Amino acid sequence: MLEKHQKLERNSLAFTVMILIVASIGGLVEIAPLFTIENTVEKVEGMRPYTPLEQVGRDIYIREGCYACHSQMIRTLRSDVERYGHFSLAAESMYDHPFQWGSKRTGPDLARIGGKYSDAWHVAHLKAPREVVEGSVMPGYAFLAETTVDTQKLPYVLRALSRVGVPYTETQIKDAARDLARQADAEAEDEDVLTERYGDKVNIRDFDGDPKRVTEMDALVAYLQVLGTLVDTKTLKSGDLVR
Amino acid sequence: MEVEYDPVTGRHTTGHEWNGIKELDTPIPAIVKWCYGLTILFSIIWWILYPSWPYVSDFMRGIAGYSSRHVVTTQLQDATAQRAVFDSDLLKGSLVTLAADPDARKKYEASAKILYRDNCAACHGRDLRGQNGFPNLTDPHWLWSGDVEDIATTLRVGINSGHDDERSAEMPAFGRDDVIEKADIDAVIAYVLFISGQNHDATLRTKGEAVFAENCASCHGEKGVGGLGAGAPSLVDQAWIYGKSRAMIHQAIWQGRKGVMPGWTGRLTETEIRKLALYVTWQNDAGNK
Repeated sequence: MLEKHQKLERNSLAFTVMILIVASIGGLVEIAPLFTIENTVEKVEGMRPYTPLEQVGRDIYIREGCYACHSQMIRTLRSDVERYGHFSLAAESMYDHPFQWGSKRTGPDLARIGGKYSDAWHVAHLKAPREVVEGSVMPGYAFLAETTVDTQKLPYVLRALSRVGVPYTETQIKDAARDLARQADAEAEDEDVLTERYGDKVNIRDFDGDPKRVTEMDALVAYLQVLGTLVDTKTLKSGDLVR
Repeated sequence: MEVEYDPVTGRHTTGHEWNGIKELDTPIPAIVKWCYGLTILFSIIWWILYPSWPYVSDFMRGIAGYSSRHVVTTQLQDATAQRAVFDSDLLKGSLVTLAADPDARKKYEASAKILYRDNCAACHGRDLRGQNGFPNLTDPHWLWSGDVEDIATTLRVGINSGHDDERSAEMPAFGRDDVIEKADIDAVIAYVLFISGQNHDATLRTKGEAVFAENCASCHGEKGVGGLGAGAPSLVDQAWIYGKSRAMIHQAIWQGRKGVMPGWTGRLTETEIRKLALYVTWQNDAGNK
């Protein structure tokens, strides 16, 4: 057997092919079943695609590299659950492309930050983190409050997401820019339109304290305020989750 | 090159030669081979015991029945049960009695402090002294009420939180919405500066008093003394949430104020809410001394 091995090792092309075959078996066994195993993503109620405003906020979150310091994955560890709440479910990132899990935290996990603090706190904190949290090492993002949201690309963003499986309807895609304005409207004049399209769990208000325009701060805070709030973890039955 | 026998070591060479240097074909030490074999054996046992191989629509669960979700759920149930024993006094008797009980304070203050820092310190500060936009909890000035039961209620439902029974209070945007005319705004600012003991324009002040009585007194109280317990602050004391400068008073009148405190029902348990209400009361007493 050792002699045969020698033969392979002396033929670099054949050896490369063999390495590729062996490595792809590993990949196949680990990755392929994720698409067929039925309980990879739990069947839970409440998940919906992000609203246009939240989606823009999410894109800002990624653009600014927030994921480099913040994870969005509460692990199945007592310390994590005690501090951040119910452990994260796969279903909760089913519309995330890409997901924001992570294994490094410089700042706290944000998977269930939604609703924990007020909008005003988020705005003050994003503008100048050390003004509200002593000793924080987070950089300031004051410019977000001065930058009006660019909605030109928005329909294309939703279209791209729908191609990878996020169930946006044609109306949601076409009306994205208007839905974005509707959500940041302090008067909530078109509340019904939004709740009909995205369900009851949509925060409709002016997020950044500047009702005159929709800024990137509005979008980012709207995104942060929805994180972890869609699935009601109190109603989950452990039988559905213990796998 | 030929494979040669080396009589000194009793081994053969590899058959290669590099610039006259030949290499002995020494096999891997036996212990390494054994360890390699053992790791394979270990992995097979591991496959049998723990979740391992995926099938098409399910996976091999392993006979040990391990699931990290199950483990953490059990751990939390145990922890909750233990904590329920430790925290049992909190659900007995009224908060008023507990707040005055030095033994309760001794027993619960340390764990309440951790709870406070995890949930409340971001806004109200680690020392409870608040910060710009977020009220100080150590002073005797309360927007709603400083009674321990009322603090617990505020914690449960929040302020402008969207909770069904929220404590709701909003200062309208008197300026932006044209409720008070521009000229009258300057007058009412002068009056507010006057009642809070600051430098002001005395000629404007008298006019401001009338504007105040008409627009502001229903919430802030006659002459701005507050104390109505409905979310509007007194304007005559030195506790200013957003600052007492002319510019900040103008901002408040122009764009209104609607401070939000989240409701904590759901995120915190009733025991935790009671514990926090006690903690705030205890620290408030300390702050007043």
